[in-house]
Amino acid sequence: MTNQSALIDRRSILKAGAAAGIAGLLATPEPTWAASEKPIKIGMVDPITSIFAAMGHSEIKGAKFAEEEINKKGGIMSRPLQLIVEDGAGNPGTSIDKAKRLVAREKIDFLMGTVNSASSLALSQFANQHNMLFLCTGGHVDALTGTNCNWNTFRTCSTTWMLTAGDFETLFDKFGKSWYFITTDYAFGHAEQADYEKQLKRHGGTMAGSALAPVGTTDFSSYLIEVKAKKPKVLCLLLAGDDQVNCMKQIAQFGIDKEIAVAGALIELEQLQALPENARYGWWTAEWYWKQPNTPHLADFVKAYRAKYKGEYPSARSWFGYASTYAIKLAVERAKSLETMKVVRGMEGLVLPPEVALQPNAPMYRAADHQLMLSMFPGHVLKGAQYPDLFDVSSIIPGEKLALSPAAAGCKMTYPS
Amino acid sequence: MSTDLATETARTAPQARTGMSRRTIGNVVLGVVLLTVPLWLPLVGGYTDLASRVLIYALAAMGLNLLLGFTGGLSFGHAAYFGLGAYGVGLMLKYETHSLFLALGVGTLVGGLAATLLGPIAVRRRGIYFSMITIAIGQMFYFIAIRWNTLTGGYDGLSGFARPKFAGPGHLLSMGPTGMYYLVLAAFAIAALLLWIVLNAPLGHAFVAIRENHKRLTFLGVSTQRYIAISFAISGFIAALAGGLNALLDGFASPNLLNYSMSGDFLIIAVLGGMRNFYGPLAGAVIFVLVRDYVSSVTDNWMSVIGLVFVVSVIFFPMGVLGFFNRKSGS
Repeated sequence: MTNQSALIDRRSILKAGAAAGIAGLLATPEPTWAASEKPIKIGMVDPITSIFAAMGHSEIKGAKFAEEEINKKGGIMSRPLQLIVEDGAGNPGTSIDKAKRLVAREKIDFLMGTVNSASSLALSQFANQHNMLFLCTGGHVDALTGTNCNWNTFRTCSTTWMLTAGDFETLFDKFGKSWYFITTDYAFGHAEQADYEKQLKRHGGTMAGSALAPVGTTDFSSYLIEVKAKKPKVLCLLLAGDDQVNCMKQIAQFGIDKEIAVAGALIELEQLQALPENARYGWWTAEWYWKQPNTPHLADFVKAYRAKYKGEYPSARSWFGYASTYAIKLAVERAKSLETMKVVRGMEGLVLPPEVALQPNAPMYRAADHQLMLSMFPGHVLKGAQYPDLFDVSSIIPGEKLALSPAAAGCKMTYPS
Repeated sequence: MSTDLATETARTAPQARTGMSRRTIGNVVLGVVLLTVPLWLPLVGGYTDLASRVLIYALAAMGLNLLLGFTGGLSFGHAAYFGLGAYGVGLMLKYETHSLFLALGVGTLVGGLAATLLGPIAVRRRGIYFSMITIAIGQMFYFIAIRWNTLTGGYDGLSGFARPKFAGPGHLLSMGPTGMYYLVLAAFAIAALLLWIVLNAPLGHAFVAIRENHKRLTFLGVSTQRYIAISFAISGFIAALAGGLNALLDGFASPNLLNYSMSGDFLIIAVLGGMRNFYGPLAGAVIFVLVRDYVSSVTDNWMSVIGLVFVVSVIFFPMGVLGFFNRKSGS
């Protein structure tokens, strides 16, 4: 008995430490709308904690920015828009829990989120069971608008195929044939590696090896020792969130980036910002960038965004949140209804106007698989640069040039009768 | 603290005999409250799935409490059996069957058998070493679920199965939130009844005796390890049943269900409600799930609030919420 109570006491001490940080954390919910109109509610599940937190925060900031802008301009069909955010913790189980609460307690009209692919797949299935529109803001796994596509699910961010196709040939021609992959062990990483392998095989390249790293890995040294031994031409990093940050730091400590070309599919402004200067390197694809000369409305957007968020620059994630919120507004106005099926039809073929698209091409939600044809921004990290100008975009490629056709992606869309 | 506990038990034991009618009334009131949940819960701002979640967590914590509160074994690995139950149900529904009860039965059996087979390893040690072994075994299942992508879906979790219809005599009933709630309630009632029978049988008395004086029972020639293993197995079966119901409720199984932090949640629930009390875990689950549900809409640091509630309750009512009220009414 004594042993047990001692153990429980120790736990309570640990808990006390956690509890000490509680004061002042209770935040008050926003926003207020002058009219007595019933608001249109968008539920947003996105990671506020976990390794995906930095990206989740940006998506939420982008969405809140859009919410404010929309409400200032008269709302949606002259009803106010209300965005209700819940923390999905980058974890499918928690995300479903939160979505459940949003549906049951808040009676939301639409669901959107999340940074994490696994959570996005889970929410897509959840929304399907609840006959609700789900707009995926930032989970890249191919299956979401491919083999697992649902009539009620749309996606704003790119597919992993688009991410890998955006820079594969450049990397292959520039650096060489033998590749080593360090891949995050969940849907996103698996899909990315499968896509790269397919292209590698097609071009006659070889796999020097690969390693699957569990989500939340902090020590990559065992993988990096093997990379040094195998001496590939390209070290391809397919990690997500803070995992990528940790791995890039350790690669710099090992000095691998000096010997082997480090590249990968996706880089985010949040990750580059979190890295020390000596660990900023490599060839990647961005999905949106705040610096695009000659793109209309972009400068105004960046300026207004920075004014709201204390000088912070919008990232691709901010744009996902922003564009997704607007896409729901535009689809509802096109459908002139909040009924799920009508809004789905309204979003099919919806082209984002320039003030929302904020890129040279006009991205459209493709009707056959519900995937937004956004542009890809392959490029490389600038050496010795200062935030926010950390990435050099080599070209802006229209999404429809990179994306697989809906049939090739494996999407057979069926609608409820 | 241990003398405190001993006097507590000594005092409540005779009360249990004399207070039969009070207990019956209590059970009837509880039964009526639970049966009418779908009617009154929406009126106070809740929703039926929330009540199902409360009962599922309460069920798992009651199972754990047989080991923790009545046998005196602190297991940090019961999430493993909970999770195995969930994956058992999920995999059955996804690949094998559309029968609700077959899936639930198989899930319960998988988790329960795992506890039956692995319990004897853990019970070879006592105290903190016992707890360490249970953590290790639990984490083993967690990592299997994370890494075995082809079977479990890995980190992505197991999806792609839905709650089947209820195959009643002659017709199919669809399982909405209300139907699901009554299924959970039925499972809860049956498991609670079984636990009650066990606790009032010689077996249950042996469990309590082991908790109170393990050495003395060993001197008397009782094979305490075997009894603790039996308690471990029963509590594992109940945790697995709860896990299976959780999978049905969510239509999804996540590897986090197997994680030791989930075991910690069950422990918090049991201790918060009162681990010497039969219905303690139910009270604990009500507090835990409601705090989680309401506070997490206000702040992301809801775990801090749970932590605070837990610390306060451990300091001020070490016998849990129900233990505190029982003591008050007793004195």
